[in-house]
Amino acid sequence: MNALPIALLSLLLPVIPAVQGRPAAKNRTPAELAVARARKGIEGFPGRPEPWNQLALALARRARETAKPSFYDEAKAALAKSFDLAPRNFEGRKVQVWVSLGQHEFARALAGAKVLNRRAPDDVLVYGLVADAAAELGKYDEAEEAVQWMLDLRPGNVPGLTRAAYLREIFGDLDGALDLMVQAFEQISPSEAEDRAWVLTQVGHLHRSRGDLENAEKALEGALGLFPEYHYALAEVARVREAQGRAGDALAFRRRHYEAAPHPENLFELAVALDRAGEEEEAATAFGRFEREAREEMETADNANRELIAFYVDHARSKDFGEEEGLRIARREASLRRDIHTLDALAWALHANGEPAEAKRQIEAALAVGTRDAGILEHARAIGADIQARSASYSPAR
Amino acid sequence: MRPLPILLSRGAVLALLVASTALPSNHREAPITALDHKADITDVYAFVSYAPGQAPNTPPSKATLILAVDPLLEPGNGPTFFPFDPAILYEIKVDHDRDARPDVVFQFRFTTEYQLPGVFTALAGVGPSGAFEPGTSNLVVPPRITSFDNPGLNLRQTYTVHVDRSGGPDLDLENSDGSPFFAVPANAGPRTIDYEALYAAGTYALPGGISVFAGTTDDAFWIDLGAAFDTANFRTLASGVPGVLTASEDASTTNLASDTVSGYAVNTIAIEVPIEMLTRTGVIEPATSPDATIGVWASTSRQRVTVRRSPLPEKNKGPWRQVQRMGNPLINELVIGIGSKDRFSMDQPENDEQFADFFLNPPIVGIVEALYGGALAVPAAPRTDLLPLVTYAEPIAAPGTEPGPIADLLRLNTGVPATPLAMASRLGLIGGDPAGYPNGRRIYDDVTDITLRVAVGGVLAAPFPGFNPDINGRLGDGVNVDDQPYHDSFPYVGSCPSGRNRRHIDPGEPGGGPVN
Repeated sequence: MNALPIALLSLLLPVIPAVQGRPAAKNRTPAELAVARARKGIEGFPGRPEPWNQLALALARRARETAKPSFYDEAKAALAKSFDLAPRNFEGRKVQVWVSLGQHEFARALAGAKVLNRRAPDDVLVYGLVADAAAELGKYDEAEEAVQWMLDLRPGNVPGLTRAAYLREIFGDLDGALDLMVQAFEQISPSEAEDRAWVLTQVGHLHRSRGDLENAEKALEGALGLFPEYHYALAEVARVREAQGRAGDALAFRRRHYEAAPHPENLFELAVALDRAGEEEEAATAFGRFEREAREEMETADNANRELIAFYVDHARSKDFGEEEGLRIARREASLRRDIHTLDALAWALHANGEPAEAKRQIEAALAVGTRDAGILEHARAIGADIQARSASYSPAR
Repeated sequence: MRPLPILLSRGAVLALLVASTALPSNHREAPITALDHKADITDVYAFVSYAPGQAPNTPPSKATLILAVDPLLEPGNGPTFFPFDPAILYEIKVDHDRDARPDVVFQFRFTTEYQLPGVFTALAGVGPSGAFEPGTSNLVVPPRITSFDNPGLNLRQTYTVHVDRSGGPDLDLENSDGSPFFAVPANAGPRTIDYEALYAAGTYALPGGISVFAGTTDDAFWIDLGAAFDTANFRTLASGVPGVLTASEDASTTNLASDTVSGYAVNTIAIEVPIEMLTRTGVIEPATSPDATIGVWASTSRQRVTVRRSPLPEKNKGPWRQVQRMGNPLINELVIGIGSKDRFSMDQPENDEQFADFFLNPPIVGIVEALYGGALAVPAAPRTDLLPLVTYAEPIAAPGTEPGPIADLLRLNTGVPATPLAMASRLGLIGGDPAGYPNGRRIYDDVTDITLRVAVGGVLAAPFPGFNPDINGRLGDGVNVDDQPYHDSFPYVGSCPSGRNRRHIDPGEPGGGPVN
């Protein structure tokens, strides 16, 4: 992959605003406009399920734009109205699965998506729902099959391309993933600012993963130009800054990120950044608050358990728990899903708890998918070195 | 520093919403196929070959397999007319061991060349010597096209035929002199082309008793398409009941309603092979042998973006992805639900169990029953009487044949002798002609009327409560024959109508039936 596609992309992008703010279009985001349209539809056609579905969908989009999960609860309320009017209406059921995904109810989402897929095997986006749920559960073969159907049924469709790109990345093909993300970007309407910003954030992420920080930065600047203070883009810029060794700048972006999306997992990343920047006192406070908040929701579907595992395993800042708590949570997570990041978290927790053989088995399961994720590879190397060191110190009797 | 997953943590959801939850679909056949005209399969035919003047019960020797694509081609529609698409893999497939998987596959690929790139049309010609700039010897218009070497055949296509056989060596079919196979072009009109000469020259007899043909021909199918898709609004003829023929109308060899496909062309690929090449045992089996019956279907495929990249140079493109497939006629159009048509088109017959409800309880039956308001009784679902269409079963396959999985294959008992043309019935098997549809499909089988009577009328399930042979057994659209004569030997299909002089026969015209 050369840098041409992203160079072309940059021509399409507006000048990057230096200040925080909201997108253009009379300061209303695409999801806000969609919410307003749907509410107007409900006023006009109160007895129809469609505007309620549209409202639920718009609220789910708003949740992505803002990172506020409360929008999902509002979406569910809208769906309840829709189902009162038409209990089995297909579009409503699709949004329902969508909301389940947003709330990280992946197993439920997968089951629901499969029912819809049987009802209408030609609905391309239902394959997307199947793929998203399957990928989050680590069922990559199932996800791949569903995404291939998307690509076959409607060649070049954007939801299919972005999902194929995501799977290519999981399978270790970063160049191929970038190819498809750029193809997707070129097809999205300029009015869909958040969609475009999302894709550009992915493009930036892929460039960074390939070690191309310059193009990563360009893409992320583009994303923030399209959708100022976009929380995904802020987090990714922070990662770029970390890779550049600019801990202070990284911290600044982590602060902005947490401000835009104040959730425990983001607080953890902020605490790590504070620590790296030498702000030890503030870091300790942040870690403490993170642990408290993360533990409050650790039994719910939408949680910060991966960060909690990393916290117990890597940071040892807890007054009450140690590595063994990290392993306990990791085992629980792995009983629910087998995606590469959960397997990695489990392997790392096993490693920290002195179980190298099992750690090796789990990290190898993640690597078998093909991932080239730097963090996973680093863990794999450490686990391998641990095993080697242990076998070197062990002298079997002849 | 893990990558951004599709679902990031808090409040994050799918990769992309992109405007709406539903992609629009329209309907001609399968929505995706309607968008890909070149890959749209119109018909598949498979039958034991017959010859002019053939005696009854002549032992079977060869079978003809035909794939027609690219529907409703207006013959005068230049300047490019209707080349096959070099990006499509055209395949005719045969299952000979009753597992609905391909055992013999005939693959056709096309290549396009331009002989006169500066000339504005694909086909140009006049007279035996062409036309010159007045007062000069500068040839402006090439001579009338009488052979594939004529430069007036500006857009010229050649094709290859590869045979993939499980358990046997693959074959690349070739002319004995090594010359290429040319595709027969459209019939632009009498000034431009001697179409019949090219039709004959483009019918290739190869070593080993194999013949091949590809080109633009008459569309061998006939139907009152307008009535069928106006919610089964068939015309009222002498019986007084819409869509029900009297005995004499049923026997008519002229049309009583409009053949919507009249005057249109289609692109045809045909191959004739010794039956030994198709059966599991490699010999011609008697009709009483389970191994005599094969399953035939055709598919069109394109290379698509694949999740896993293929090797260079097409790094984003992978293996062939099926665009459409077809076994029995009218299955996708009239049987498969609109929300499943694309999946059906793109999936493999071996996975057809997922469509079993459509096959054995076709929605069209309930629709027609409702439209008749009690005048037409239909058999109760599940319609096990339709199993012969989707499994290996009597009366097509021999008694005791293992049925295999439910799959949309055209079942052909290769041991049944071809019926001499003069004795053949357009109603095939249900017309007392054992060599006709649904035992294979000949080009002159009236699959519309047969399907109406079998699927809606339930004639294979008769007798059942309310069954009336004069209604259930006389369903028909009133179009009994094609508008163009067929050829009586391979490749059998009629000649492409002349672009200049073609005629579409409309309702209200002579031969077009009433407007009612």
